[in-house]
Amino acid sequence: MKNVATQSTSRHWSQRLLGVERRNWRPALLFVLPAFVLLLSITIYPLVRTLALSFVTLELSVSPVERFNGLGNFTKALTADPRFGNAMLNTAILAVIGVTIQVVLGMALALMASEMGRTRAVWVTLFMIPIMIAPVVSGFQFRVIFNDTFGPLNYLIREVSNGTIRPPPWTASTSTSLLTIMITDIWQWTPFMLLLLLAGLDSLSQEVIEAARVDGANYWQQLIRIKIPILLPILIIGILIRMMDTFKTFDLVVLLTEGGPGSSSETVAYYTYVNGFKFFSMGYTAALAFIQLVVIVVVSRGFLSLQQRQRGDLR
Amino acid sequence: MNTNKLILRLGLGAILSLALVFFLFPVLWMFLTSFKTQDQIFASPPVLIPPQDQWNLVNYLGALNESGGLQAVRDSLIVAAATALVSVGVGALAAYSLARYRTGGQQFAFWILSTRMFPPVASAIPLFLIFRELKLLDTYWALILANTIFNLPFAIWLLKGFIEELPYELEESALIDGASTFGAFWRVTLPLIRPGIVTALLFTFVFTWNEFMFALLMTRRNVRPLTVMIQSLAGGHEILWAQIAAAGVIAIIPGILLVIFLQRHIVRGLTMGALKN
Repeated sequence: MKNVATQSTSRHWSQRLLGVERRNWRPALLFVLPAFVLLLSITIYPLVRTLALSFVTLELSVSPVERFNGLGNFTKALTADPRFGNAMLNTAILAVIGVTIQVVLGMALALMASEMGRTRAVWVTLFMIPIMIAPVVSGFQFRVIFNDTFGPLNYLIREVSNGTIRPPPWTASTSTSLLTIMITDIWQWTPFMLLLLLAGLDSLSQEVIEAARVDGANYWQQLIRIKIPILLPILIIGILIRMMDTFKTFDLVVLLTEGGPGSSSETVAYYTYVNGFKFFSMGYTAALAFIQLVVIVVVSRGFLSLQQRQRGDLR
Repeated sequence: MNTNKLILRLGLGAILSLALVFFLFPVLWMFLTSFKTQDQIFASPPVLIPPQDQWNLVNYLGALNESGGLQAVRDSLIVAAATALVSVGVGALAAYSLARYRTGGQQFAFWILSTRMFPPVASAIPLFLIFRELKLLDTYWALILANTIFNLPFAIWLLKGFIEELPYELEESALIDGASTFGAFWRVTLPLIRPGIVTALLFTFVFTWNEFMFALLMTRRNVRPLTVMIQSLAGGHEILWAQIAAAGVIAIIPGILLVIFLQRHIVRGLTMGALKN
């Protein structure tokens, strides 16, 4: 089955002769064509158009005329736009700190859930719920919870501390606004890590673990020396998926803070949106999009080669 | 040993329950909020459970009628259903070709996967400009197209995995009996991967139903999906918290149903077939 394609061209006249059409490659190309064309329209075409736009000034709110600007947009973004640097930093904080917390919590919960025997399925089902909730709705839920005047969280903090702690106005304070986005993201995606790692734990060979146990390895030794190394490739994929998603963090920002106060909680996706669809600076927005793309490609390449090396080590 | 195990499970169960409080409280609070009056929302101490006579659909009817929820639900349904059908239809064909003929080789399959990494904001500008030129902004078509494109890699990879699990012999015998390639796909493969098709349809439906950014950028007045409605209500001057909560409860129904009915395939779906459970 694996070499159907490689044989198709060299043997297809003989298959004709035998009346066996199964290695006919023409329908195969035809089948893949619609998907190919559609996917080209979000990759190659936008890539070309974004790249072309990134060298011009196009202020749609002023006029539809494009003026060539050379590398101006790029130099502005990388050297003269602290707001973009801030958005990059915020995104990096979400990607590194937020995702790390998701991994650690997800791992702990997966290890616990895997010991639960017959009731496991019930636990897992309940934990799955946040994943499938629209981020817009998650954002709304937490906006109510974090609300300074009527939110249950600040009420609880005031009650428990007997009024001694004055909780911050979470989404409305420059020091906590990004944190609210991170907490909501952790709420939504820790269950994903849990599911992923639980599936990974299930696929571990019981014999290896039994052998380690017989050799006298305790629980933590088994975890650190055996389980985590075997889970590493899955873990890397999970981290990669989540990190790529943080570059898309947009819905939560809009619902929770609108990037504010000031620009304290702006992410790259949100700042790009502001430039494109509030200021209508299409040229500059294109340059921002292109810079993101480069960062994403570099990060994902890094992760994939790391994962490949991991797999190589295990073999 | 057995009592030890029982104690361990009780202890772990207690910790997991605490964790569940964190993961389910926001949903529960939104549900309770959807039955409160505006006064109760601002009350201190907060009203935990609304009085019995308020367990009615007042806020739901308000969200659906006064706030335009009915149109929003209809728009979201149309866009999500059409996106699911188109992306699974196109995706199944491509998946079949990739699984059975290795069309384009490994490289092509990974290129398809990598398009999912493309940041949507980056394609939003060119897509916005095309749709504007084609006069498609603020129509269902713009959203269906944009969402289909972003769900295709998912549908292709998921279905490719399901097809690769089938033995080729069944299709082979159909081909020898004179079926065309499409005939073999349509009559033999498709019925056998029904669980995969259902999984892909439901996932793409929920992803599209939950989608917000394109919905916000590509629509104005004529089309207004539920996510956009919720955001615009939450960004208004006098915020009707209970009505938004009601709209939020309506918005999470498809996702919750997916969790209940598709548990077995959720991990597979979320990792695009990379992991099976």
